[in-house]
Amino acid sequence: MRKGSLLMPADNDSPFLLHPHRRGLQNLDRMARYRDEDVVDLVVVGAGAGGGVLAQRLARKGWRVAVLEKGPLWDPDRDWVSDEKGSGDLYWTEKRIVSGSDPIEMGKNNSGIGVGGGMTHFAGYVPRLHPSDFEVRTRDRVGADWPISYLDLKESFERIERELPVAGEYWPWGDPHGYPHGPHPVAGAAAVAWQGARNYGIEMRVGPVAITNGVFGNRPHCIYRGFCLEGCKVNAKASPLITHVPDAIEHGCEIRPGCMVTRVELDDGGRAAGVVYVQDGVERFQRAEAVAVCGYAIETPRLLLNSACARHPHGLGNDADVVGRYVMVQGASQTAARFPQMLRMYKAPPPEISSEQFYETDEARGFARGFSIQTISPLPIGWAEHVLAEGHWGPSLRAYMRDYNHWTVLGMLGELLPLPENRVTLADEQDANGMPIAHFNYSLCENDKALIAYGKRILAEIWDGADAQDTLTIDRYAHLVGGARMGFSPDDSVVDATHRVWGIDNLFVVDGSVLPTQGAANPALAIMALADRCAGLLADKRL
Amino acid sequence: MKVPRQRNGTTPQMVGRYPDYDVLSQTTHWDEVTRRVVLDRVENVPPIRFFTDAEAETLSAFCDVATAQDDEPRIPVLAYVDEKLYLGRRDGWHYHDVPDDDEVWRRVARGLDDEARAKSFGSFAAAPYEEQHGIVHRFSRAELHGGVWDTLNVSRAFTVVMRYVVQAFYSHPWAWNEIGFGGPAYPRGYGAFGSPHLGERESWEGEEAIHDDPVLLTEQEGWE
Repeated sequence: MRKGSLLMPADNDSPFLLHPHRRGLQNLDRMARYRDEDVVDLVVVGAGAGGGVLAQRLARKGWRVAVLEKGPLWDPDRDWVSDEKGSGDLYWTEKRIVSGSDPIEMGKNNSGIGVGGGMTHFAGYVPRLHPSDFEVRTRDRVGADWPISYLDLKESFERIERELPVAGEYWPWGDPHGYPHGPHPVAGAAAVAWQGARNYGIEMRVGPVAITNGVFGNRPHCIYRGFCLEGCKVNAKASPLITHVPDAIEHGCEIRPGCMVTRVELDDGGRAAGVVYVQDGVERFQRAEAVAVCGYAIETPRLLLNSACARHPHGLGNDADVVGRYVMVQGASQTAARFPQMLRMYKAPPPEISSEQFYETDEARGFARGFSIQTISPLPIGWAEHVLAEGHWGPSLRAYMRDYNHWTVLGMLGELLPLPENRVTLADEQDANGMPIAHFNYSLCENDKALIAYGKRILAEIWDGADAQDTLTIDRYAHLVGGARMGFSPDDSVVDATHRVWGIDNLFVVDGSVLPTQGAANPALAIMALADRCAGLLADKRL
Repeated sequence: MKVPRQRNGTTPQMVGRYPDYDVLSQTTHWDEVTRRVVLDRVENVPPIRFFTDAEAETLSAFCDVATAQDDEPRIPVLAYVDEKLYLGRRDGWHYHDVPDDDEVWRRVARGLDDEARAKSFGSFAAAPYEEQHGIVHRFSRAELHGGVWDTLNVSRAFTVVMRYVVQAFYSHPWAWNEIGFGGPAYPRGYGAFGSPHLGERESWEGEEAIHDDPVLLTEQEGWE
């Protein structure tokens, strides 16, 4: 008898491999252990959205997979807390230099570490990309086209949505679709935003969030405690740690935490031979038939650049100087609004309702591409940073903070364009392993600025429609993609449409860094879908 | 402006909008790991290990001004700033135009003392509250120049140090009492978050005693 609905994923037992009361993984005692001298079929660098899915899919196909992850293999019962400041270990906090006219905050804002990657602390929004996102250059004469279309990813989106699982209302935008779980209840704080949007003629919908809203194997239902960004101690919010890694382990995949990969080594024939990594201060080498780099938009370029060798003196995949370029963030300005009634925005998941009404290009607005609108509910430290960014400190900081329960926050998520000078390079400074640290330079272009300004006007209109008494707006940026983009030729990109690094046929990049453009969608679902598709193409082949 | 006196539990300066709310009365509902982390902030204040005594005196006064702590009980903000720097913890990004966070803090200490001495006070900590407030005001607007300030992007330095300050202050349960935040919520979760029947307040959460709008208040009081 199959438990659950027919929408339960048939080829991923992760929800059943978890324990209904203990949150940590239950099958670690059965996990395979490969030795460095074993030639595994695939070594995956990084256990996040890309690496986690890829490892699970290929382990299922019989590949012997070893995943090397810089951070820990979390046990949410033991390692995570229901507390904002106490969750600092979830973020990649090693030094990275930021510069440019709009230097990007990293750490908790956009960088994860440990098994599950950044999804352990993402809010939970998992919208799909729109079909238009794959042909931005053709349609709007900006950015780049993808070498694949929406239809190439559609089944992958659907598979991943069933595995997370995604809860939300029927989605009318992009390629219209439904979700496996229904919409979560809307909290009071989000309800006022919804009313404001309605009054202004903007459609909003509940979701889509990767948070259980029904029975799903041994994953508990959400308890609406509001700590999505601090790691879900409930196991209700999805991350690869609980959605894909349990099944990967069950099928012979080794997850090796505490391992920082510092170089990909090629053999004499120019193929990847394995990776150099540091574990407990000792440098080691894992041999492999194939290597998949899944380190995300900063660490993937850093690793490719640091793997320079005689054959590729500027780094792997970088013969045309594209590695590290076209890194993108999304314009995520937020406008908070004050209401006379109590809202207590710390309750219920921060991601609640969203709109993609402004997602597509409208030439009348004077800029290309668009943005989404989403609710966000910062906890006290996040709210204090918001108040601080407005210039308040001392008595006014305290007064605004005392008023915390009267405020609620809407954010925009704007598609900013891929620009060659927005790039990751290696700094002169080195980390404890002797590896150069990353330097990330970021500046907005004119289209970006016009888009953000327009988006902020819409947020203000919504709050006006809701009769907010006051508003506070801050500029910020969210997410990271690009840096090793997928393209049509070795001259314009780092990987081809199958994620293979140009010129090295057993080296792959399978993470958010391959995105040529980003749409106005949170990137987690797209990254997982790309990994699903990539694994499907590799399937039974060995390299 | 009149903020009520806290009647139950502790808030910084014993003022609070929720005078009968004490989040620490709820600790039996928290999971063990979280409980330890939060209670440590109250019960095990870390000693100063990173800053020198003189730096600590200056910066402690700065943290109090920056968070308007003009009376006891005070959240020992600098103790947590010091702990973070001592343990080498960072937030994960480093602006190219300021030194490393620990050096920013040390230079800010020097700069604040220089400003106070320029007005003939022995140190920043020795200056009266109004003088301290004036110096921090100019710091917040990047209006400090000369000496050590010229070695920093002053505006950026203010955002770096204030990030540490608000993390320390608003992670403390006394501050949660003041603002009516529910605190840790695992494994209990929430049921009352806005349905027409349950409303937005759990039975154990605080009720407001005043309804001041901070926007109007800030205008009236001439704050910034």
